[in-house]
Amino acid sequence: MLGMTTDTGALRELTVGTGSGLDTADMVLNIGPQHPSTHGVLRLKLVLDGERVVACEPIVGYMHRGAEKLFEVRDYRQIIVLANRHDWLSAFSSELGVVLAVERMMGIEVPERAIWLRTALAELNRVLNHLMFLGSYPLEIGAITPMFYAFREREALQTVMEEVSGGRVHYMFNRVGGLKEEVPAGWTRRAREAIDEVRRRLPDLDNLIRRNEIFLARTVGVGVLTAEQAAAFGASGPVGRASGLDLDLRRDDPYLAYGELDVPVVTRTTGDCHARFEVLLDQVYVSLDLAQQCLDRVDQITGPVNVRLPKVVKAPEGHTYAWTENPLGINGYYLVSRGEKTPWRLKLRTASYANVQALSTLIPGCLVPDLIAILGSMFFVVGDIDK
Amino acid sequence: MSEGGHGQGLVKGLAVTLKTMVRPAQTQQYPDVAPELPPRSRGVIALLEENCTVCMLCARECPDWCIYIDSHKEEVVVPGAARPRQRNVLDRFDIDFSLCMYCGICVEVCPFDALYWSPEFEYSEYDIRDLLHDKQHLGQWMATVPPPPAHDPHGEASKEETTAARRAAAPGAARGAPAGPAVRRERPARPAPEPGGAEA
Repeated sequence: MLGMTTDTGALRELTVGTGSGLDTADMVLNIGPQHPSTHGVLRLKLVLDGERVVACEPIVGYMHRGAEKLFEVRDYRQIIVLANRHDWLSAFSSELGVVLAVERMMGIEVPERAIWLRTALAELNRVLNHLMFLGSYPLEIGAITPMFYAFREREALQTVMEEVSGGRVHYMFNRVGGLKEEVPAGWTRRAREAIDEVRRRLPDLDNLIRRNEIFLARTVGVGVLTAEQAAAFGASGPVGRASGLDLDLRRDDPYLAYGELDVPVVTRTTGDCHARFEVLLDQVYVSLDLAQQCLDRVDQITGPVNVRLPKVVKAPEGHTYAWTENPLGINGYYLVSRGEKTPWRLKLRTASYANVQALSTLIPGCLVPDLIAILGSMFFVVGDIDK
Repeated sequence: MSEGGHGQGLVKGLAVTLKTMVRPAQTQQYPDVAPELPPRSRGVIALLEENCTVCMLCARECPDWCIYIDSHKEEVVVPGAARPRQRNVLDRFDIDFSLCMYCGICVEVCPFDALYWSPEFEYSEYDIRDLLHDKQHLGQWMATVPPPPAHDPHGEASKEETTAARRAAAPGAARGAPAGPAVRRERPARPAPEPGGAEA
């Protein structure tokens, strides 16, 4: 407010600025769709009051590729190509959900060796996925070094995955009825060596970041998601478990060989960014152990890794719902078949989609500098949101 | 964050840095040192033209239809036969690597082993149209196809091994071996690019 004397000598009040008094107009700010911190094309429409976020609306769909519609004109082998692409960090686990659904519909009994190999590979895929976020999350809030350590470990495991499947990201190793082919001779030993190596070197990453003061200051108590909120939004996986939502399909609704394994479920109760990060970090240790156990079993089982399929694979008329504990959370596959070569409908329930919805309650009230810390800790893949 | 323990996290982090400092670097000297890729690596698809019967299975099964095949029928007069025989002649076999999703379904469905994966990956181009490899270019990749790795003894033997064993056991085993990829241990250099891209 500014006082000013006019020619007549009387004091006149002049208001400068857009609002009057303490009322300031809220600013609408778009974060994304092209923003380096949103890793992908997620757009957040924020209403800001100064530095504080009043409202947040995640706007999704910039990367919508119509995967579900494309599934309807692809046969079951071709679907695997698309299924491992919507969440490019969990390619193996995403393939798995599709083939599990089709196998259930067709009543195919998967050979035991294939089941254990699938479990081992799914766990290795989980480690790869988690390592990516363990590297990228600190990077987003300013710590560049953990990325290099995370990628060093990723490289060791990716070599193993590439040797068996020929792909580094899109493995294309699942088939209806088992796996594409037998693993190369000596692969299980090399995979075990890689696991040992990662387990031995993981403390480097752990020591660098887990209790780093700056990292703690940025993440502890920031972006607290309560268990009720997590459940209400359908958040699952590491995000849900960090809020104390003790749900892990590997233990609670075992598929593959998880029923025979003792799966320790990593949970936290605080539900803040640091808890989510810690769940991810501790899950890596768990997954490495599980993968190792699976590989030990694989070495004791002989036999084929796939079944002979009819020339044309057709799921009989009906419907089924298969769900898997993907690295980012629960992925569901609702398969409706009318007895054709292609599904009539294959609905995807993806973990990232549900997890990202929680942002609309998580972000309002936080400060702009905390925004990226929260966003990065929700561990999503935009392709998995938009499908 | 516990009071008094201030700075401990940073010290721990720096200890990692110091430890790493005295260790050899992980960096791969890529353009100077070629990476060692496993035989299953899906780099590029090679075509063994002699084995192709123009059955079109690969083109049909391709999820994004990036294989283009043209052919014509030719009559072959076989001396002593009542009627001339017809056979398919491959005129065009193109794979558009700008569309290819590297899923390997074509290689998998080929009933006559005319397609193979090669780990070769250095074929980027300045013009996207040059990523369309014709049958001559695809044939050149055959020289880079590695032998498939032996299977884990716990599992089933590979298709190649079982067919070879069956052939060896068959009565007419003396006949010549079928055309297959040349078995070579080291990776040969990539085929030289055609002068002026005349193959397009």
